[in-house]
Amino acid sequence: MKIVIAGAGAVGTHLARMLSNDHQDVVLIDADENKLLRWGNELDIMTLVRQPTSVNGMRDVEVNHADLFIAVTPNESENLACAMLAKQLGARQTVARVDNYEYMKPENIELFKKMGIESLIYPELLAAEDIMTSSRYSWVRQMWEFNNGELLLLSVKMHDAHPIYEKEISNKNNQLVGHTLKEIGVTYGHNFHVVAIKRDGETICPHGDEQILPRDLVFFMTTKENLTEIRHLTGKDDYPAVKNSLLIGGGKLSVRACWKLETIHDSVKIIEPDKKRTEELQSLVSPKTMILEGEGYDVDLLNDEGYGSTEALIALTDNDQQNILACVAARRRGIHKTIAQVENLDYFDMANDLDIGTIINKKMIAASHIYRMLLKGDVDNVKMLTIGNADVAEFVVKAGSQVTKKKVMDLRFPRGVNIGGMSREGKSMLVNGSTQLQAGDKVVVFCIDNTLRKLDKFFK
Amino acid sequence: MVNWQLIAKILGFLLFIEAGLMMLCQVVCWLYGEGIHAFIPPIAAALLLGIVGVIVGRKAGKKMGRKDGYIIVSIVWVLFTLIGMFPFLLDGHVSDVASAFFETMSGFTSTGATIIDDLDSMPKGLLFWRSLTQWIGGIGIVFFTIAILPAFGMGEVKLFAAEATGPLHDKVHPRISMAARWIGGVYVMLTILCVAALMLCGMNAFDATNYALCTTATGGYGTHSALLGDYYNSPAIEYVLIFFMFVSGINYTLIYYTILKGKLKKFFADAELRAYLIIVLGASLICTVSLALGDPMYDVEASVRHSLFTVISLQTTTGLATVDYTLWPVQLMPVLLFVMFAGACSGSTCGGFKCVRLSIIYRVLKNEFTHILHPRAITPVRMNGNIVPNSIVQTLLGFVALFVCSLFLGAFVLALSGVDPNDVHPNFDYYEAFGIAMSSISNVGPGMGYYGPVHSWAILSPLAKYVCSFLMLIGRLEIFPIMLLFTRSFWKKG
Repeated sequence: MKIVIAGAGAVGTHLARMLSNDHQDVVLIDADENKLLRWGNELDIMTLVRQPTSVNGMRDVEVNHADLFIAVTPNESENLACAMLAKQLGARQTVARVDNYEYMKPENIELFKKMGIESLIYPELLAAEDIMTSSRYSWVRQMWEFNNGELLLLSVKMHDAHPIYEKEISNKNNQLVGHTLKEIGVTYGHNFHVVAIKRDGETICPHGDEQILPRDLVFFMTTKENLTEIRHLTGKDDYPAVKNSLLIGGGKLSVRACWKLETIHDSVKIIEPDKKRTEELQSLVSPKTMILEGEGYDVDLLNDEGYGSTEALIALTDNDQQNILACVAARRRGIHKTIAQVENLDYFDMANDLDIGTIINKKMIAASHIYRMLLKGDVDNVKMLTIGNADVAEFVVKAGSQVTKKKVMDLRFPRGVNIGGMSREGKSMLVNGSTQLQAGDKVVVFCIDNTLRKLDKFFK
Repeated sequence: MVNWQLIAKILGFLLFIEAGLMMLCQVVCWLYGEGIHAFIPPIAAALLLGIVGVIVGRKAGKKMGRKDGYIIVSIVWVLFTLIGMFPFLLDGHVSDVASAFFETMSGFTSTGATIIDDLDSMPKGLLFWRSLTQWIGGIGIVFFTIAILPAFGMGEVKLFAAEATGPLHDKVHPRISMAARWIGGVYVMLTILCVAALMLCGMNAFDATNYALCTTATGGYGTHSALLGDYYNSPAIEYVLIFFMFVSGINYTLIYYTILKGKLKKFFADAELRAYLIIVLGASLICTVSLALGDPMYDVEASVRHSLFTVISLQTTTGLATVDYTLWPVQLMPVLLFVMFAGACSGSTCGGFKCVRLSIIYRVLKNEFTHILHPRAITPVRMNGNIVPNSIVQTLLGFVALFVCSLFLGAFVLALSGVDPNDVHPNFDYYEAFGIAMSSISNVGPGMGYYGPVHSWAILSPLAKYVCSFLMLIGRLEIFPIMLLFTRSFWKKG
């Protein structure tokens, strides 16, 4: 598949990397030569210095042969213009990144299709969804639902107190740490599956002899009724439920996040230093949300309004350092759930080390989303985890496909693939080695390192 | 960190390729009924080492660092030579290791200098092996492998960067493996056309194949020790070879665009091609005039033909010869040395300094003069309308320095190592040492003085042969990849 990406910013280059690893023919264009210089030598792609909105430039990259054109320059109108241009010149599919909520409304989809832009992506909206999924429970890092919430995939940190946090976070009650997966399976039956472990920045697909260590981030697959058991086993009984959340920074992302959070939390507060912006915010969010004027590092204000009465702190200012520090400070005050926006990818690992619950990076989210759109042709529902290079996909088992012929353990799946659970006739259950899949089953598969593509032949 | 396991694995795969190539030559031996089995032991060795490499690297991670690419490319050229020299040794046509190593390295680097005095008595299988090494080495061992192995899938970009020649790289396809296949297709097509043309001119199939392989590779090995002009005495063959040597010296990406995309305008507007044409025509003109006026042996047609043949053969670093140019008027020697140094276009199979670099240097100089008159003028270096980044100009400067240093150092060591005093040509002149060094580093083949196209280099001392082999290797890989391995910072951690 030939894919042309306009704009060699963070989103464009991240996408180029994912797609070229996937053996697609990627052409990356940008008007700025310096931005391209590095990537031509690093990735198996073609880089060309062209103005994305130039007709001649588009002809040079032979956009008429492109199966997909992705416009992700920093400029919204440029994205729209070059996506339309690409479509008119013969690109099969076009995607453009926008900055405007209005464009995303369902009633406007037709309008943009008429203009020649098949899909729009709005990173803030996607990020807001991520914030919502990860701020539901204080003891869960992130949770994804399948089959109407019957089947759950969740990641939980096996805590060891981090030296920088005064208030010790207890690890005593965790009954999983130090045991191998085999032992856990024997002791606790088949109420849940450990599908992956993230350790020292690497995601591994564990086998039976793998031990769970302190500080691991463990991905569990389970059904709804066993959620409390996992909570108990990981020693997180004393973690309070998230009822109140506090947002620092009143930018666009905060507004989108606020809309989502209002639906699941009792109260949402936003701290914003700029008086003018606070006035704007009043008309953007519902009256249920309290808007506070002040700085996110104002300790008095946080003591008054935040620390005692909130269970989740979400720092979304434009300043990465301030976001990270706000979360660290909140952790020291005993707030379990912290979410920080970190746009600088170099800070990513550091923020992870500081035990910030969820790190939101709009660019990565946007890139993953586009990648997901490409995969969607093959699978019914793909979720991409931004933490760790993993994909979670939902397949519908077709009659006569390979997977129906043998038991799961005899199927010889590629390494890095783990079937977590499935739903059969509306009922959710976990999958183990002796499960026999049937046509019509909906299976949730966890794949590490781009193994997703290799699964096609098993399910077709 | 250096990923040795991955390096072992990739080298293992590359060795399978070499085993396959040698198998081809063994088949040629059998076809011609030559009772020779000199290829069997090295094939076995290559397969064995290959299997060991793949086993060692079976658990290797897929991530290839920049260092790994340079290490693989440097090692593979030496490794191929080490294994590829055994057929010569086992068959007994070459008696000592230094000579066999030299012969094979000269093959893989598509240099074409030989130490074999009597080619006509060589078995056909071995002659074909010599030609095949040139043909593979011409396009590049790793490049060849990327093109034919469909699922190489490991850091092609880094390997490609370590082996590609010239300062600017143009891709014909987003993915390297596909680009390699297209360029490889152009190469194969040229070779087949050349075989056909030579056969039409009256060569037999075996000679035509060998000469075609060595011509498109701009290598210069042949199947006969005598000069082409003496052996065939056929102007038609010479014109065919002139054409194919010239075309093989053009950037293959440019040929691809011209032939397959019909962009003829782009072809003639290319700055490097223009420089190449100017040098070829200019040097040929000087030679033609000198020969036509100064040498009663040559009539006008012969002067034109021999001048063109010699200039193109030396500039594309092929090294085939119709006449012994060392006997030409002395004023032509600097001209010929210059074209040997200049080389043809980057992205072709030729060696040497490459016209694109000369072209950039010319533009830098022109800018310098503009700058003296207009001190505040902003003067970027442009090639084909694109601005050449300063970093590339800087790298070019470094390349010039390394090239010149290697040349002089090589000539110095060669002159020092000398020749056997009891041999046919006991004295070693400084210009001969210089000619050999230039010919080696530019991958041309024949040198100056005694070491011109008529005689082989057999009388060189073993040390001199190793020095020449080294010069050929650094010349083929454009110095940096090899020299990099000798820097301390390369081996430092982190």
